[in-house]
Amino acid sequence: MIEGVAFYILSTVAVLGALLAVSRRNLVHGVFALLLFFAALSGLFVMLMADYVAAVQVLVYVGAVGILQLFAIMLTEHVTGDDLRRLGARGWFWGLMLAVALPVVLLLPPLLNGEPPVPPAAPQSTARQLGSQLMEHYVVPLEVLALLLTGALIGAVAVAHGPEKDPPGKDRPA
Amino acid sequence: MTQTLLNLLAIAVPLAVGFASLFAFTTWLERKILARIQNRIGPNRISLPFTRFRRLFGLIQPAADGLKMLAKEDIVPRDADKLLHLLAPILSLVPPMMVLCLLPLELPYATAGMRALQAAALDNAVLLFFAITSLNTLAVFMAGWASRNKYSLLGGMRAVAQMVSYEIPLVLSAAVVIMAAGGMNAQAIVEAQRAQWFIFTPWGLAAFLIFFIASLAETNRSPFDLPEAESEIIAGYFTEYSGFKFALFFLGEYLAIFAVSGLAVTLFLGGGAGPWVAAYPALSCVWFLAKIFALIFVMIWLRGTLPRLRVDQLMGFAWKFLLPLSLLNLFVAAAALKLAKPWLSWPVGALVLYGAAVALSRSHRADAAPRTYSYAE
Repeated sequence: MIEGVAFYILSTVAVLGALLAVSRRNLVHGVFALLLFFAALSGLFVMLMADYVAAVQVLVYVGAVGILQLFAIMLTEHVTGDDLRRLGARGWFWGLMLAVALPVVLLLPPLLNGEPPVPPAAPQSTARQLGSQLMEHYVVPLEVLALLLTGALIGAVAVAHGPEKDPPGKDRPA
Repeated sequence: MTQTLLNLLAIAVPLAVGFASLFAFTTWLERKILARIQNRIGPNRISLPFTRFRRLFGLIQPAADGLKMLAKEDIVPRDADKLLHLLAPILSLVPPMMVLCLLPLELPYATAGMRALQAAALDNAVLLFFAITSLNTLAVFMAGWASRNKYSLLGGMRAVAQMVSYEIPLVLSAAVVIMAAGGMNAQAIVEAQRAQWFIFTPWGLAAFLIFFIASLAETNRSPFDLPEAESEIIAGYFTEYSGFKFALFFLGEYLAIFAVSGLAVTLFLGGGAGPWVAAYPALSCVWFLAKIFALIFVMIWLRGTLPRLRVDQLMGFAWKFLLPLSLLNLFVAAAALKLAKPWLSWPVGALVLYGAAVALSRSHRADAAPRTYSYAE
């Protein structure tokens, strides 16, 4: 019973957060609504007994991605969205179609088979299993990804730094 | 189900109430110690009304402060973002409150059912701790942005940059302990230190020092209190807060200090271990709090004696000193754990870590030199 109540609360918060995130004109409000959505999603992960994924969801999405987005928004102007310029976006139609199609596609095979999907038994220690999987079975993709991210990081520093170097410890002359 | 709910309440309510009263005591302690360092007396005037108890070393001062905060006018700037301005102090209180439940505090009256409940929630406790504390950054940014004040925004941006930077050495130094204990369960980490606290190993000592320094920065404590530097940006992100919202920020900050000190005690100082615990299990809670307060005393001591860092020094210290050192410490710890020869790991590990620290600080000596400014004399 208590799981049902928690599920409906979390789902409502998630859907509301997602709706607010796309509908608010104020960008900062939008980001905070998106973070609310992420937080509710991590609650849903907890309900699926995936507490490790839930923690990572908070750590990566709410903690890191949210901060990154706020930083990026702070570098732009017209944050509050009060000005009247608008982009005539017609994406809502396709978005709606996708939102309707996705559950249908996901639920159609089990419905056709005539039996509801059986939830797999909850693993005992998710962190340990994930770690050993990453270190044994998926070690090559992991290393490639790490290399790629390091390359991206160095590239970002190179782009941000620009071609010339200022002498250290001095402000640029006016 | 009712029993589960009751057990949950029996864990959560004492934590919330107990740590909130410890907060009051800590404000008094901080003012008294700072006063002692600065050759003053500190708060000593407030007495209990209608009683014979006079003064009591000013212990009633926090209650008077609380009443004053409640009675103060709550001012919201006209151009502020009203909703976020209201939400920020509340949000700043939530993460530390949640995180306090993750500490392996063995409540003296806990029954077997409550223990099971705590253990069930705690399998990824350390990871969850870092995940939830990273939300604090958002509250600070929200306060800074919603106030529509340039000093608030500057403070908020400073806080975000600082907290994001220092989170990395914080997590890396905790990763060493996770490696040694073989898991992220707080109880298991305490259990793994039964023979020897992790601070008594070379990598553990280095990790503890890095963790402590980074936790000072994470909680915006002096000498890393740039987000609220009075001499530069008034009060930083909470410049535009008054009355009880200000008090909430204050409370959140101190609860975060309790939480991060509690994690340091869990990871490095053996949790609730101490003399006579085997005979009286209730003592473990007392030892845990005593260790937390020992760390808090050092924090207050540092605040009273160290000047504030400059912004560029602050970032340089995190990225050029703490980060390489904690990465090196990971390797040292891995080697020491693999070899499992304490007579070898102590001298070699200590030498490598100390040498690296000296070399790093030598190579960045130029960063500490006085800067020349082209716009100001």
